[in-house]
Amino acid sequence: MIEFDRVSFSYGNRLVLHELSFSVHEDERTAILGGSGDGKTTILKLIVGLLRPDSGRILINGADITEKAEDELRDIRIKFSIVFQEGALFDSLSVKENVAFPLREYTRMTEEEIDRKVRELLRRVGLEEAIGHMPEELSGGMHRRVAIMRSMAAFEPKMFLYDEPTSGLDPVSADVICKLILDLSGQGRGYIIVTHKVFDAFRLANRFMFLKGGKIVFDGDRPALLGSTIPEIRIFLRELNLDRN
Amino acid sequence: MRIALDRIKGIIGQLQDFYLLSFHGLVGTLRRPFYSKDLIEQMNYAGFGSLLVILLISLFIGMALSLQLSAELSRLGLKMYTGKVVGISIIREIGPVLIAVVFAGRVGSGMASELGSMVLGHQVDTLRVFGVDPVKKLVTPRILSAVAMLPVLTIIGDAVALFGAYYIAVFVSHQSGTFFWSSIRDILTYENILAGSIKPFIFGYLIACISCYMGLSTKGGAVGLRRTTTQAVVLSFIAIIVADFIMTRVLLYILGFTL
Repeated sequence: MIEFDRVSFSYGNRLVLHELSFSVHEDERTAILGGSGDGKTTILKLIVGLLRPDSGRILINGADITEKAEDELRDIRIKFSIVFQEGALFDSLSVKENVAFPLREYTRMTEEEIDRKVRELLRRVGLEEAIGHMPEELSGGMHRRVAIMRSMAAFEPKMFLYDEPTSGLDPVSADVICKLILDLSGQGRGYIIVTHKVFDAFRLANRFMFLKGGKIVFDGDRPALLGSTIPEIRIFLRELNLDRN
Repeated sequence: MRIALDRIKGIIGQLQDFYLLSFHGLVGTLRRPFYSKDLIEQMNYAGFGSLLVILLISLFIGMALSLQLSAELSRLGLKMYTGKVVGISIIREIGPVLIAVVFAGRVGSGMASELGSMVLGHQVDTLRVFGVDPVKKLVTPRILSAVAMLPVLTIIGDAVALFGAYYIAVFVSHQSGTFFWSSIRDILTYENILAGSIKPFIFGYLIACISCYMGLSTKGGAVGLRRTTTQAVVLSFIAIIVADFIMTRVLLYILGFTL
C-alpha cells in the first residue's frame, strides 16, 4: 500500500504539493487527474523515491521511504513498474538493448536467454519485428509499448505507475496502449495512471483523484466525479461531451 | 537582501554538487560495475570523432604561428630561432590550451547536451529506477574518456602544428629544415614535455566534470538545454584558461625556471 502523509514538495520557491495525504492499495486502479504543472508526475516520482519531499512521510507497505538512501530504495523500486511520459527509451540503444537493459542489470541471464526473453516480451505487444530498430524509428505508440515491456522485463512488479501513457497519441494507438494497460493489470496488480485525458482515465480507472493547487480536491469513484461541481473538473469532463454547459 | 542571500546559497549549493559529482565520477573508476562498452563509445566519440578538426586547426595554427614569428624574428635578424620559439610555444602552451578549447567546444558541448536531453526525457530517472547509478554509468566513462583522449589528441595536434610550422619555415621563409628540426629536438627536454603533457589530463578532467554537471542539472525544456550547453562550454573555457595559468606558474616553480 502507498500512503502519503501530509507530503509537501516544492521546486525551488514554487510549492507544487501542499500537505498531501492519501493512500492507494496495490490492487486499485487509480487515475490522478489535473492540469499541467499541478504535480501529477511529481507524485509518481515521490512514490519511487526519485524525489524527496520537503516534509511529510511516504510509506510503502508501512515502510517510510523518505529517509532511505539511494541503495536502499532499490528494493522499493522493484515493486513498481514505472513508465514515464513518451516512454523514456534510451536513445543510444536499440529496441532490443532497451528491453534487455534491466535484464542485464538485474539478472545473470546468458545472451541467449536475454534474446529469448526480449523477443517474448516484444511479441506480446506485436513488436518483435522492431527488435533491431532504434527508438527514433518508432512511432509514439510503439515507444510506449516498448517502454512498458522494458519496465517489467526483469521482475514482476506489484503495481504499475503510468505517466501520461496516451498523451500525444492518435486514438488508435491510445486504444492499443489502454488495452495493454488493462491486460497487464489483474492478479492483484493495480496501477496509478497520471493523465489529463479524462476519456482514457474513465476507461482505465475506477478511482479518481483530482489535483489542484497542490492539493487533492476530489477523491472518489466515477459517478461521484461525474456529479462533481468543482469548476475545473467540469471543464475536464467536457472532453466526454457530458457537460454541455 | 533576501534575494541576494538566496542567490549566494544557491551558488554554494551548486559548487557543492559540482565537487561531489567530480569526486564520485572519479571514484567510480575504482568501483564495480565497470561500463566498458560506454567507455569505448565515449573514447571513440571524444578521440576519433575530434581527430579531423584537431588536425586541421593544429596545422593552420602551426603555420600561422610560424609565419608571424618568421616575419618578426627576421626583422631582428633572429630568423633561425623560429623553430625554437614555435616549438616552445606549441608544446608548452598553445598546443594544450588550444586543443583543450576545441575539445570543450566539440566534446564538452556534446556531453552537456546529451545528458541534458536524457534528463529532460526522463532517461536518467529511468536509470535510477533500474537501480543504476547515473554518475557511474554516465559521468565516469565521460571523465575517463576525456582524461585519456585529450592528451593523445594534444600530442597528435602538437606534432601536426610543428609540421605546419616546419612547412612555412622551410618553403615560405626559406630556412634550413635541418636546423629547424634540430631546434625542435633541443627543446624536447624533460621539463618542456612534462609541462605540456600534464595540462591535458587536468583540462580533460575539468571539461568532462563541468559538462556532465551542467548536463545533469538541465531543466526547463529546450531553452534550458540551450542555456546549460552554452554554460558548459563557457565555463570550460574559463576553467581551461585559469587552470592553465595556475599550472604554468606551479610547473615553472617546480621545474626550476626563474622569471
